[in-house]
Amino acid sequence: MPDLRIEATINGRKIARNAKPHLRLLDFLRDDLGHTGTKEGCGAGECGTCSVFVDGVLLKSCLVPAAKAQGTRIETVEGLAKAGELSVLQQAFHKAGASQCGYCIPGMVMAATAALRANPFADREEIKERLGGNICRCTGYQKIFDAVELARDVQNGRRPASALAEEDAADGAFIGVNVRRLDAPSKVSGALKYAGDMVMPHMLHMAVLRSPHAHARIVSIDTSEAEAMDGVEGVITAADVPGVDGFGVFVHDQPIMARGKVRYVGEQVAAVASEDPLIARRALSKIKVVYEPLPAVFDAHEAMKAGAAVLHDYAPDNIVKHIPIRVGDVAKGFAESDLIVEETYSTQQVEHAYLEPEAGLAYVDADGVVTILSPSQNITHHRHMLSRIIAQPINKVRFIMSPVGGGFGGKEDMVYQGMLALMAMKTRRPVRVVFTREESIITTAKRHPSHTTYKMGLTRDGRIKAVEIKMISDGGAYGMSTEGVMRKAAILAAGPYAIPNVKVDTYGIYTNNTPSGAFRSFGALQTQFATETHLDICAEKLGLDPFEIRRVNAMRDGASTHTKQALKSVSLTRALDAAEKAARWEPGVPNMRGATRGDLNGEGTRPSCTLGARLAAAASPKTSEVA
Amino acid sequence: MLICDEYLTLASLDEAFDAMARHRGRCRIIAGATDTLPWAREGRAGDVEVPVLIDVARIPELNARRVDGTRVRLGAAVPIQRFLDDPALAKALPVMPQCAIWFADDQIRESATIGGNVINASPAADGTPPLIAHGARVELAAKRNGRIVRREMAVEDFLQGPGKTALESDELLVGLDCEALPGYGASFEKVGHRRSLVISVVCLAALVKLDATKQKIEDARLAIGGIGPVPQRLTEVESFLRAGPLTAERLEQAAEMPVALVASRSRQEYRREVVRGFVLRALMTAVRNAGGASLLAPELEAAYA
Ligand SMILES: Cc1cc2nc3c(=O)[nH]c(=O)nc-3n(C[C@H](O)[C@H](O)[C@H](O)COP(=O)(O)OP(=O)(O)OC[C@H]3O[C@@H](n4cnc5c(N)ncnc54)[C@H](O)[C@@H]3O)c2cc1C
Ligand code: FES
Ligand code: FES
Repeated sequence: MPDLRIEATINGRKIARNAKPHLRLLDFLRDDLGHTGTKEGCGAGECGTCSVFVDGVLLKSCLVPAAKAQGTRIETVEGLAKAGELSVLQQAFHKAGASQCGYCIPGMVMAATAALRANPFADREEIKERLGGNICRCTGYQKIFDAVELARDVQNGRRPASALAEEDAADGAFIGVNVRRLDAPSKVSGALKYAGDMVMPHMLHMAVLRSPHAHARIVSIDTSEAEAMDGVEGVITAADVPGVDGFGVFVHDQPIMARGKVRYVGEQVAAVASEDPLIARRALSKIKVVYEPLPAVFDAHEAMKAGAAVLHDYAPDNIVKHIPIRVGDVAKGFAESDLIVEETYSTQQVEHAYLEPEAGLAYVDADGVVTILSPSQNITHHRHMLSRIIAQPINKVRFIMSPVGGGFGGKEDMVYQGMLALMAMKTRRPVRVVFTREESIITTAKRHPSHTTYKMGLTRDGRIKAVEIKMISDGGAYGMSTEGVMRKAAILAAGPYAIPNVKVDTYGIYTNNTPSGAFRSFGALQTQFATETHLDICAEKLGLDPFEIRRVNAMRDGASTHTKQALKSVSLTRALDAAEKAARWEPGVPNMRGATRGDLNGEGTRPSCTLGARLAAAASPKTSEVA
Repeated sequence: MLICDEYLTLASLDEAFDAMARHRGRCRIIAGATDTLPWAREGRAGDVEVPVLIDVARIPELNARRVDGTRVRLGAAVPIQRFLDDPALAKALPVMPQCAIWFADDQIRESATIGGNVINASPAADGTPPLIAHGARVELAAKRNGRIVRREMAVEDFLQGPGKTALESDELLVGLDCEALPGYGASFEKVGHRRSLVISVVCLAALVKLDATKQKIEDARLAIGGIGPVPQRLTEVESFLRAGPLTAERLEQAAEMPVALVASRSRQEYRREVVRGFVLRALMTAVRNAGGASLLAPELEAAYA
C-alpha cells in the first residue's frame, strides 16, 4: 500500500511528506499539516468552508484528492495574513462586522480574495456571483459583500486605508452604534479553533454505528469482531453506561446509545475508537446487531390514535407534552362574532444547517475529571445530566464550551457528548468525534413540523372575539426540547392581540421520525405563521386593510398577555407603523385594490437573483460599439 | 468516503492504458473527482473501497483545446471554467459560457471536467445538451494488442441512459470534437431547486443563426436535458424554425412542440410547463444575441430579462 509522496509549497514554505493515498487535500492540510483554518462543512463541494488556492486557483479542497497537490503551490487562509498582519480583505471583514459564528469565514475570505484577484474592480453583482460557492448561515451575506466592496475600494485607492481603521464607539456607547467584534480577527485569520480543529497527544478518533431502522428491538449486539481488530482501542454500547442512562432538555428519555430498542433511523447504537479514523469506520461494519423490526409511526396524528405504535413505555399515548391555555369562554366569544373563519396550517421539518457539524473532544484529566469540550449550547445542564449518567460526582465532570460554529438551537441537545465521555473513560485516552454533514442531518434535532387548526371569531369592525387554536407537532423519537417548544408555541399562539376568549392547545407527539428540538423562535414560528396568515384572510373577508385589523386588536401599554403577564410597554403599533411605511404599503384590502398596485417592486425590493454578471459585463462594451 | 490503496497520477495516455491493464477490474478513473468524491458518501454509495485510482487529469492530450476554422477539439479533462475564460472557446462555442456560468460554482468548475460530465451521464447534466447542440462527437481510445486504437461517435449515441455510456472498460474518453458555430446567438436555460450550486431539473441549450436580413432563422440548434433518461436534440423544432419567417407566434408554436417529449419519472406536469417557457425564452434570447430584434412584448421584456 504505497503512500503518496507529496512535495509542495504551502504558504510559501516547502513541504515533503508521505500521505495516505485516499486522503483529500482537505484532510492532508488539516490532519497531516495542522492547517485547521480550512474547515469541513460538508465534504461534498456544497459549502466552501474548505476553499484553498492551488497554483493560484481557488478550489474546494474536499473535492481534491491529496495526490493532486503534488508539485503545486498552495495557499490557505493562514497564508493571507503576512507576519500576523491581517490582509486588507481580512481587515475589511473585521471592519464591516462580516463574521458571526465564523465557521464559514476562512472560506469566505478565500473566495473574496479570489474574486478580487480575478477582477480587482468587480462590482457587487460580480462579487456575489464569485462568492456563489460559499454558504454562510449567520450573516445574511450583506455585510460580507460590504466588506469585499470596502476592501476593493481601499485596494484601488478609491477609499483611504483609514476606512479600515479601528473606530471607537463614542465613549462607552454600545447601543445604536457599530461595535467591533472582539473575536473577528481570530475568525477572519482562521486561527480560531473549533472542537473539530483541536487535537491532543495520543488522541483517538471515534466513529458511530447508527440504526438503519425507524423502530426495532435490539435482539443482540456483538462487538467482539470489532474489538479484535488491529488498531481498535475501544468499543462502547449502552452496556457501558455506569449510571442512570437518559438525557433530554426536559424529559430524560434518550439513552446515550440505543438501549433495548432503536426509535429512529440514525440513532446511535455503538461507537468505535481508533488512532486511525479509517480503522474506526471500518470496524463499524464488524459490529453485528440483530434487530427485530417493530411497527413504526411517522405521522403525529396517527401516533395519537389508539393502537398506534408506542415509542416510550412511560408515554403510552405518545404525548411528549400537551400545553393548554384557557382564557374566558370561547363558545360565548364565537356566539358574539359576526364572522367565523376556520383554516388549517402546516409547517415542515427544517434542519438548522449550521456550517460546523457536531464535533467534540473528551479526556479524563490527571485528577480523574471527565472533561468534554464541545460546541454545546447548554453546558451546565449537560454537566448535571452527565454526572448522573456516568455516576460521578459533579466535581468530576467538566464541560468546556468550544466556539460554536452556528447552533440556532440545534446544539442544545447532549447528542454525542455522552458517548465521548464513555469512550474516554473506557480507553483512558483523549477521544475526538467529528460528525459528517450527513450524520449531522440524520441524527440531530429539527424544527418541529406542525399542523394547526385555527378558528377565529370577529365582529364586523375586525375585533377578535375568540380564537381556538390546536397545534399538533411531530416531536420525533425523543423529547429533547419539545416541552419548551410547546410552551412557547402556546404562550405566543394568539399573537400580540387583545382577545377576550382564547383556547389554545399545543401537543408534542412522539413518532419514529428524527427528533425535533429547539430551533430559532422555539415554537413561536409555527403558531405565529398560522395567526398572521389567518388575520390576513380575515381582513380580506371583512374588507379591512391588514394593518388596520392588527391595529384594532393590538395589545397596548399596560396590557396583560393571554397567560397573564403584565406588559408595561408594548411597541406593536409602532412596529406596525414602521413596517407600513417601509413597505410603502398602499392602504386597502389586498384583494380589492384592482389590477395595478403602486407598492410592488421599486426601491427597497430586490429582483430575483440571476447569474451572468460577468457575461453581461463582457458583452456590454460590444453593445456600446454597435451603438 | 472513497478509500484506495494506491493513487496513480499518469503523465501520458500510454501509461494510463498500461495502468488500466495492470489493474483491470480493480481500478477507477479520476479526472476532476467532483462526481466521484461526493458519490462515495453516506446516502449515496457510502464508503467505497477501490484498490487503485487512476488520475488522468494531467495527461497533456486530455488537456488540449484547439479551435481551427470549423471544428473545436476539446480534451476530455478540460475544466468547465475554460469555457468562461478562454475567449477562443467562447467565440467558437457560443452556448458554452452561458452553460458554464450556471454550472456548479467558480471553484468546482476549475476541477470539473467536460469529459467527466459526459461519462457521468446524468440525465440532467448541464454539459451534454450544449455539446449535442454543437454536434459534438466523442473520441474514445483503448490500448489493444500493444496499439492505441481509437473510435468516435456522436454524443447522443454515446449516452445510453442514466449513468450508462458506450464506453468499454478498457477505454478512455480522450476528447470531444465539436462544430464551431461562431456568430450564432446562444442561450442556456436551467432550472433547479435554487440558483447557485445546483443540479438541473431541466436544462436547455439553444443556438440560432439569422440570415443577413436578421428576419429569418437560417439555422437553429436546440438540445434539452432532464426530461428523459438521456438529453436529446430537438431536430423537429429546428426544421420548423428554419422553414418559416421569424415571428413571435412561430416561436410560441415551436415552444409547444417538445412539450410532449417530457418522459421523466417525476414531476411531469411541472417539467412540461418549464419546457414550454424555456424553449420560448431560450429562442427569444438566442435571437436577440444573434443580433435580431427583441420579439418580446414590452411588458414581458423585464420578466424574461
Ligand atoms: C457541488 C457540486 C455542484 C455540481 N454542479 C453541477 C452542475 O451545475 N451541472 C452539472 O452538470 N454537474 C454538476 N456537478 C457534477 C460534476 O461536477 C460534473 O459532472 C463534472 O463535470 C464531473 O467531472 P469530473 O472530472 O470532476 O468527474 P470525475 O468524478 O473525475 O469523473 C466522473 C466519472 O467519469 C469518469 N471519467 C472521468 N474522466 C474520464 C475519461 N477521460 N475517460 C473515462 N472515464 C472518465 C470517472 O471514472 C467517473 O466515473 C456538480 C458537482 C458538485 C459536487
Ligand atoms: S465545500 Fe468542501 S467542505 Fe463544504
Ligand atoms: S458566520 Fe457564516 S456561517 Fe456563521
